[in-house]
Amino acid sequence: MSTPKGDSFVVVYATIVCLICSLLLASAASALKKPQEYNVEIDRKINVLKAFGVKITDASGKRIKGPEVDQYFTDHISEITVDGATGQEVASAGEAKEPLSLYLWKDDGVVTKYAFPISGKGLWSTIYGYLALEGDLSTIAGITFYRHGETPGLGGEIEANWFQEDFRGKKVFENGHRLKFEVVKGKVTDKYPDGNNHAVDGISGATLTGNGLNRFINADLDKYESYFKLHRGT
Amino acid sequence: MALKAKTVFTDPLSNNNPITIQILGICSSLAVTTQVDKAFVMSVGLTLVTAFSNLVISMMRNQIPSKIRIIVELAVVSTLVIVTDQILRAYVYDISRQMSVFIGLIITNCIVMGRLEAFALQNPPGLSFLDGLGNGLGYSAILMIVGSMREILGKGSWWGIQLLPENYLGNGLMVLAPGAFFCLGLIIWLQRQLTKKFETA
Repeated sequence: MSTPKGDSFVVVYATIVCLICSLLLASAASALKKPQEYNVEIDRKINVLKAFGVKITDASGKRIKGPEVDQYFTDHISEITVDGATGQEVASAGEAKEPLSLYLWKDDGVVTKYAFPISGKGLWSTIYGYLALEGDLSTIAGITFYRHGETPGLGGEIEANWFQEDFRGKKVFENGHRLKFEVVKGKVTDKYPDGNNHAVDGISGATLTGNGLNRFINADLDKYESYFKLHRGT
Repeated sequence: MALKAKTVFTDPLSNNNPITIQILGICSSLAVTTQVDKAFVMSVGLTLVTAFSNLVISMMRNQIPSKIRIIVELAVVSTLVIVTDQILRAYVYDISRQMSVFIGLIITNCIVMGRLEAFALQNPPGLSFLDGLGNGLGYSAILMIVGSMREILGKGSWWGIQLLPENYLGNGLMVLAPGAFFCLGLIIWLQRQLTKKFETA
């Protein structure tokens, strides 16, 4: 601390430091933007695959890589937009009153599964995920949650496999009726001793996260119902 | 001078280890040590940030107006941390997603600020860089040990490689944060036993 420094020096110094720092940050952000966006895109696609029930890890437990993910997408998946108001497929989001995006899983050209994004409030945060239905549009094929800010270990357990696997095979539509899907508080067998094909066990300590899931899973299912109605077999 | 450089670098590895002796950076060492690969990324991140922020601040030390000293330090540290975070997001996306907030929280890691205030402000850049590197590596060593203990006992694997038989159930405690407390406690006890260095009340 050599010479005494006046207030003007402090201001100039602070300005220069801030300028240099922001310059560095801006250049780092723009230089790395491309690989970052690619990663986010691949991550989104991996989550769609996971909802469809594709094994997303290889033999050694590592996640599959970008090219392989893209391969699945070109082989099996087509992305369409439907209008929630009419239930019709539209060519672009601009033509629809309520544009909704939908992923179709095709085996040899026949649609066997459907997946769509779901999101809504949990306890602390907005939860994002995908829900996949079987070709009958009545049975859940899989679910994933890929972004949330719930409490790790409690609400954060929605990311866990045991919780997500429980959804598979549950019914959302039966005998001509939409069933209210339910994440119960505690165990399904406690609340419904006779069994219940449209409810899953809750996470202990995360009842409010579960309530959030109930709200938005059902609301999102209802949004797509106009489309599903037209495509559900008899 | 050469002798001093050596002690500056080696002291924080054991005798003055930032975690086990100074008890700093406990938060992140509990959070990111469930698996060795996460612990490794955190270690590299923190070591680089500590070393380079020490270097930069040390070069600026004669000009920084003392009124805004801490703010300037924070600006430098956070710039480095954000750049690190951006690089991780671009190249090891999966790990950076799991680390979530903890890379960002290097900014508040007591080790970084501690070294800036205690060392870099009084010493020339070369020594400061060594000091940062030493402290970063001291932190890393503990993180890797704790990470290894927790992954092996908690999951039966090391760096994702299965070590114990497949039917090993895994110790649930080790996966959770309290497990890290036990590991850390054991390491601290062991180190003090070996070096016979005790804090006097």
